[in-house]
Amino acid sequence: MPQNNQTLLEKTVADQWQTLPSGLTVLVRPMPGYSSTHVIYATKFGSIDRDFCLNGQTVHLPAGVAHFLEHKMFEDEDGDAFAKYAKTGANANAFTSFDRTCYLFTATQQLDESLDVLLGMVGHPYFTEQTIAKEQGIIGQEIKMYDDSPDWRLITGLFECLYHSHPIRSDIAGTVESIAEITPAMLYDSCKAFYAPGNMVLAAAGNTTMEQILAACKRHGLMESRPAQKVQRLWASEPMTLAATEKTLTMPVSKPCFGVGFKEEPLPADDLRTEALYDLVLSCIVGGMSPLYRRLYDEGLVNPGFGGEVLRVDGCCCILFTGESDVPDTVRQLLLDEIARVRAAGVDREVFTLCKNEKYGQLIENLENVEDSASQMADFALSGQTVAQQISMLAGLTAEDADAALQHILCTDRMATMYIQPDGTAQAAEEDEEEEG
Amino acid sequence: MERTLIAPGVHLSCDPASKFNRCRISIHFAFPAERKTATAHALLPLVMERGYADCPDMTRLTKKLAKLYGADLTVDARPMGCNHNLCVSVTGIKDAFALEGEALTAEYTKIALGAAFHPYFVDGCFDPQAVSIEKQMLKKGLEDEINDKRIYCLHQANREFFGDSPAGVRQEGYLEEVDGLTPAMLTAAYRQMLRTANIELLVLGCDAAQTAAIRDALLAELACIDRAPLPLVENMAMPAIAPVHKTENYDMVQAKLCMLFTLGQPMQPQQLAAVRLAMALYGGSVTSRLFLNVRERDHLCYYCSSSFQSFTGSMAVNSGVEHADAVRAEQAILKELADLCTGPITDEEFEDCRRGLLSGMNGVEDSLGGIESWYYIEVLRAGANSAAPIQSPEQARNALRAVTKDEVRNILRRLTLSVSYLLTKEDAAHAAE
Repeated sequence: MPQNNQTLLEKTVADQWQTLPSGLTVLVRPMPGYSSTHVIYATKFGSIDRDFCLNGQTVHLPAGVAHFLEHKMFEDEDGDAFAKYAKTGANANAFTSFDRTCYLFTATQQLDESLDVLLGMVGHPYFTEQTIAKEQGIIGQEIKMYDDSPDWRLITGLFECLYHSHPIRSDIAGTVESIAEITPAMLYDSCKAFYAPGNMVLAAAGNTTMEQILAACKRHGLMESRPAQKVQRLWASEPMTLAATEKTLTMPVSKPCFGVGFKEEPLPADDLRTEALYDLVLSCIVGGMSPLYRRLYDEGLVNPGFGGEVLRVDGCCCILFTGESDVPDTVRQLLLDEIARVRAAGVDREVFTLCKNEKYGQLIENLENVEDSASQMADFALSGQTVAQQISMLAGLTAEDADAALQHILCTDRMATMYIQPDGTAQAAEEDEEEEG
Repeated sequence: MERTLIAPGVHLSCDPASKFNRCRISIHFAFPAERKTATAHALLPLVMERGYADCPDMTRLTKKLAKLYGADLTVDARPMGCNHNLCVSVTGIKDAFALEGEALTAEYTKIALGAAFHPYFVDGCFDPQAVSIEKQMLKKGLEDEINDKRIYCLHQANREFFGDSPAGVRQEGYLEEVDGLTPAMLTAAYRQMLRTANIELLVLGCDAAQTAAIRDALLAELACIDRAPLPLVENMAMPAIAPVHKTENYDMVQAKLCMLFTLGQPMQPQQLAAVRLAMALYGGSVTSRLFLNVRERDHLCYYCSSSFQSFTGSMAVNSGVEHADAVRAEQAILKELADLCTGPITDEEFEDCRRGLLSGMNGVEDSLGGIESWYYIEVLRAGANSAAPIQSPEQARNALRAVTKDEVRNILRRLTLSVSYLLTKEDAAHAAE
């Protein structure tokens, strides 16, 4: 690589990183020439964190608490955080995934004030029976919205097949019934356990500096040490067997949707290398450069959205293939044949190298805008890594590593299949429409 | 952003955008949508994106892009009111990030121009095999529309709303026509586009020399074509009518409601700032009446938002509601509009909305996508209304700062409900009766 390019790359991926006395990890990437700043305040607390021991006391949460807490965090005794953001002009949001909750905003003015809203709302939780009851209606609507999504139902159906007891079986938002069990005490316990600064990351990218972010942290007491909470996540044992090999449901869809899932050994929390390797293996098997993808596409056996993904969280790692097909069993067999072929022959060396090229380009792309840049920093930091380490790690992956991984992943004895069959109403509507025409 | 006329019906817009890690070359073809060629024009991007004369094989093309560090070639089509827009774009990391010192931008140029002007032809027409495969993909896409009920509800409402008007042409294609398309029909549609489209070359993130090279390469391509660009169709609006209510029944967990309103007359360019603020107040932000009252206070839905389509002078309100609450939700949505038209608007909510919009506009030029979307919509607005200037984000911010409550009310008062489209469970519909 030319020297000047190396320097540019190092400059581009560089971020500033500090761990404050409170335990909070702060990452900043100043981006000269940008008007916006994107800030993410993230905690390692997601929908799978259902059982834990807090200062010697066992806590069990119903499904959906992390997501419910995310909604409630926007409200305190002074009112709604969105109303406070409205005074700064910042565009704020939040989301909850299986293993994290993130609060974020983008601002082009009054950054200090927006930081105060963010750090204030997350640092001063406020819950009552009344405010909880109020939120149950809105979240119930959100749950129902996802219930109508075939893509989401496919994924959750696969988790129910692959896992006996791991909390990934439950929807991130929970159910109408489970969120009805939520109490203020559960939310306060969750905050005490998982919203401690030592469990959190604050990442900012754009028109800002480390000094500005640290000043905000200081205003909110995050420069002072905090008494550590003793928190231990509790996991039920999860065997490597399947809960079910197959599941089918019907929905108003036009064509059958299907998913094939493989249960894999869980990965250590800081092992991003293996996750990246699995991802490259999938690209070699079903990615756009693979012979299987081309055959499925040209023969019209799947929709263009067919593909594979690796999902890993604490205590769970699985590989999922999802798509839509008139002949899902044929596609599944072609997939299994291709896995067996590549396992025996080794991954295509040219394709493997090209996939690495693509990943490198993606990492550079993600440093370009303030949202992706802050998100990427926060994501890696929650696993204790930096973007620069990711680029080095990627460069070190070899086709031989992929061949070795393939010997023990994607095994049929740990495979489950999920089908969504049309209930017939979607086709009926089409026919009606044609008659009218 | 600099914009210059480089040939009749052809403009170059460029921005060196040095702060970005990537560059982007886009060639936009805009032309009036026609019913008879709508399905061919919907199929065209799928076939063009598969490959071109110098790289006809889809897999080889994917590998070529991967070698360029995952550069992206996209050919997509979008409806713009009564006009159709096909865009060929290549986006990739700048030469400075190439690990082996490759001249990436020159490669991006070849790919973009190759995909746009040198399709892979067999006997003078698009490759029959590629056409056959992509027809199946188009059919799948059209059949899949119903899987996402929110989008399906919006499309159905639009079909009812626009009917046989030029804006009602289904630019995504007509399912029943796909099988009958031939390579010759597709080739004719492609040639028609090259001949009649208004072309906008957008070059972002390239230096002056690279931009000049791209411009010259495009002009060389156009020199081989007998060009006769057509004027774009002017902004339109559907006339106000008595509201039409339609219901479809599916076994869904949550009902979807889409309400379409018309301004009754085409939106004028000088109304744009007031329209933006009107949407932020009514249903386009988290401080809007629909969000705060219909969702947060009344808990009638998880989402309830409004958006305005300037090319067609129409407003859509989309919401996901409990089956049993659909009628109540519709009434609440109408009441919020009426309250804004006739009731008080506090200074606080007005300024909160304005502040949020101004802040968002400040950040438009912080992403390649943001810059391209902003300017290309502005270009189309100008193309569809000769009185419309191309506004920079700064000019738009100044216009927004000057908007008054009365101007916002004047916009909202013109909006009348034309279509209310509901997807719901059968038993819920019976219960409502």
